[in-house]
Amino acid sequence: MLEARELRKEFGELRATDDVSVRFGKTEGERVFIVGPNGAGKTTLVNLLTGLLEPDRGEVVVHREQNGSTVERDITEMAPEKRVKAGLVRSFQIVHVFEEMTVRENVRTAALSRHEKTLSMRSRDDGHGDVERDVDDLLADFRLEGIEGEIAETLPHGDRKLLDVAMSFALDPEYLLLDEPTSGVATQEKEYVIETIVEASEAESVTTVTIEHDMDLVKEYADRLVVLHDGQVFREGDPDLLETDPDLRRVLLGVDE
Amino acid sequence: MSRFPLVEDRDGQTVVRIPLTRGLGLTPLQTVFAFLGLVGLFALPFLAGLVGLSWERLFRGILFGLAAVGLNLLLRHTELVSFGHAAFFGGGAYGVAVLAAHYNVSEGLLLLLGAVIVGTTLAVVIGYFVAGYVDIYFALLTLAFNQVLFATVFRSGFFNYNDGLQVRIGGDRPTLFFLEWTTLGYDLVLYYTTIVLMLVMLLAMWKLINSPFGRALDAIGQDRTRARFIGIPVEKYVWLSFTISGLYGAFAGGVYALLRLHVQPEPTLYVFVSGEILFMAILGGFTTLVGPLIGGIILVYLLEAARFWVEYYHALTGLVLLAIVFFMPKGIVGSLPDFNAWVAGRVREPGRLQEDVRSATAAVREGVDRATTTVRIIVFGVK
Amino acid sequence: MIESFVTHTLNGLYYGFILFMIASGLTIIFGVLGVLNLAHGELYALGAFVTFTIVGYLTGLVASPTGPVSALVFAVVVLLGSLAAAAVLLPVGAIVESVFVRPIYERAEVYQLLLTYALLLIFIDVMKFGWGATPVDPGVYSTLNQVPTTELVGFGYPSYNVIVMVVGLAVFLWLVWFFDRSKTGRIVRATAINRDMATAIGVSTDRTFTLVFAMGAFFAGFGGAMVSIGPGTAFLEMGLDPLVLSFVVIVIGGLGSLKGAFVGALLVGVISRWAIWQYPPVELAAPFAVMLAILLVKPEGLFGTWGEIE
Repeated sequence: MLEARELRKEFGELRATDDVSVRFGKTEGERVFIVGPNGAGKTTLVNLLTGLLEPDRGEVVVHREQNGSTVERDITEMAPEKRVKAGLVRSFQIVHVFEEMTVRENVRTAALSRHEKTLSMRSRDDGHGDVERDVDDLLADFRLEGIEGEIAETLPHGDRKLLDVAMSFALDPEYLLLDEPTSGVATQEKEYVIETIVEASEAESVTTVTIEHDMDLVKEYADRLVVLHDGQVFREGDPDLLETDPDLRRVLLGVDE
Repeated sequence: MSRFPLVEDRDGQTVVRIPLTRGLGLTPLQTVFAFLGLVGLFALPFLAGLVGLSWERLFRGILFGLAAVGLNLLLRHTELVSFGHAAFFGGGAYGVAVLAAHYNVSEGLLLLLGAVIVGTTLAVVIGYFVAGYVDIYFALLTLAFNQVLFATVFRSGFFNYNDGLQVRIGGDRPTLFFLEWTTLGYDLVLYYTTIVLMLVMLLAMWKLINSPFGRALDAIGQDRTRARFIGIPVEKYVWLSFTISGLYGAFAGGVYALLRLHVQPEPTLYVFVSGEILFMAILGGFTTLVGPLIGGIILVYLLEAARFWVEYYHALTGLVLLAIVFFMPKGIVGSLPDFNAWVAGRVREPGRLQEDVRSATAAVREGVDRATTTVRIIVFGVK
Repeated sequence: MIESFVTHTLNGLYYGFILFMIASGLTIIFGVLGVLNLAHGELYALGAFVTFTIVGYLTGLVASPTGPVSALVFAVVVLLGSLAAAAVLLPVGAIVESVFVRPIYERAEVYQLLLTYALLLIFIDVMKFGWGATPVDPGVYSTLNQVPTTELVGFGYPSYNVIVMVVGLAVFLWLVWFFDRSKTGRIVRATAINRDMATAIGVSTDRTFTLVFAMGAFFAGFGGAMVSIGPGTAFLEMGLDPLVLSFVVIVIGGLGSLKGAFVGALLVGVISRWAIWQYPPVELAAPFAVMLAILLVKPEGLFGTWGEIE
């Protein structure tokens, strides 16, 4: 389980997250969606959890089952690349892939990192069989096999989004934080992108934390909902809240009376 | 399997394997070039004189070029522009000079080892500070470290100020392999030792840039944030590649000192030497492994020897570099494939040569037009 | 002790004002165009050579000064000549920008460096062609010192240095006025901050960039003119060291910051002159050590506004 404990981050006057405490992965492979209006602190929360930002106060804690008991590990000070190794992986709202590499090389680079082989001096074609197998599987899971030889920057946007997520999966995550995986994707393709991600995360029972604006997708796929508003947790619970809670509608539509 | 040893078929392409580098290979054309290059290198001391070139100067060009090969690891892969690589070249050269002049070390190979240790240590220290920076800040930081070093040597009695240090022990040149040599013998033994070591270094670099580590450096260069978030320890890897990069410069600088037997700050440590090492890489082709080496030979020749051919040799070098910027951005070696394709295309359809001439003329005319318009606006104002 | 402290500080300020004139051009070109111009030192050198020719011609027209008043007339003539020399750099800068620099704004910065380095080499030979390889000196320094300045307040200090400081201060104030108050200056700043926006409101970025480059060349040339009329000579390699020191200045002040360049230049000038006075071996290294410290502690510089003129 991944826990944010009273995380606070201020940018000048603005308190982007105001002592946010929330837990992800209460059950194995839980799908949590973070929703909220613009400026609610969603991306800041993800940035704090993954180490892109340092909190002004509060802690990031990972709970792990060990010999039948739960062990807490404070990772607030841990460097982002170490968090990745600890199973905490993310994608970005703006696609971050290695633009000049092919699709395959992108996924392979991530897989090499997961297999602790980035310091290896053995050449490309020279026996990294386990890595290549991982790459083949991932390319198939994300339906990228047909375009594995294409250079990343030439791909259509939807494929770039999928490539970005495929690279995250190549890192064998325990927790995957996705910052708007469908942003910029055409409406009719959003379902496809989310569906692909859900299938992959169910197969590996990865806990996913997804920032998403499309409430139809949230209703369809969320196990649990975390609503942020003005840097605070406004509501937390079942996705049915979207239908039943009138205050929630008001916040999400941004109508303040 | 093919009829020839070392030749195999990989994914439908003929590839020539190179001993000691499993998983790597050259295309047949590259093999021919590599072979010619090797023959050229080994025959250089005898060939150079025949065509009226100075072998010693070519040797120095190779040395600066080797430093540029090192720099290119940063430029091509981590996409960092170092403007301070003279620190390692000069550091290596002064490593030799100080050991010889102050500590009476007389064996050339020991001196060279000292050079590598001194220059690489400098790279470790400087790399520690600069690894977290990118873009112009990286360039300016490396420049600043370089200049601090230069200014210190330039103003210090220990390094004998601007006059520099002699690499002579009691008036004699160092021994090589613990033997004393005649002038010519010394130069030849030094040259061939260097060439052999250099080939090993080139193979090592080739292996490195095609390894997962090289791939990680590419990743850092293309998207630092993403590299960090796939678990690559970015600063550590940049630091490591910076150190390796400095090692190449340090070795080259050490040999330079053994060759010249006299080390001064301006030709080895000055910030413009750093610039030259950088420009060698681009001139030769920074998208290739050996391009910087070729660039080194050509730029050293242009900067030093052109003065004997034309009075305005700076301008000549400047024009060559301008041509690289505008017409051959991939550099000399990097443009070879394009050039080949162009020649092949024109051999097939000679008629298109006319088109080329026409489009080139049009481009020149457009440039001149733009320039005259601008001048007219400046002199007479708008309208 | 006090007196030599004052003298060395004044020398430092004088040197700083020269550096500022060079660095101001470098920093506004970098701030607006995003190009680090390695040929900037050669524009400064060119200014010095052109000054030799123009001031040499003009001073041939006026009689040698006999008293303070005629010395003042002489100084005015020399300054006008320097301005005219720097003005020659305006079209030079404009042509360099429109023909060579403009096509490569979108290219990787190594190409910008390589291009401006190529221009540096070509400029050296242009000057060699124009004025030969031996140093030249318009020889007006001693006459300028006949203008009474510090004697008026009872302190002996070369009048030439005082003149340069006054001129340097005027350049700074004019630049601040230009970018803060004038319409053109505001347009330039707007272009620096957002090129697309500037284009959208009908500003020609091409012309703005040409103007900025020409201005940068002008002030570099004016700096060269000030050195040329001083005790030094104009020589082919004179552009290299000031170029490198200008980097130091604009890094200390913050890349693209005009006020930063001003403070940075005076700081570097004074530090290096104090070093000469107290401990000469560190004179060369001191500015770079300061630059290193700034880059490592506060990479955006003292007045850091990265890429924008302020």
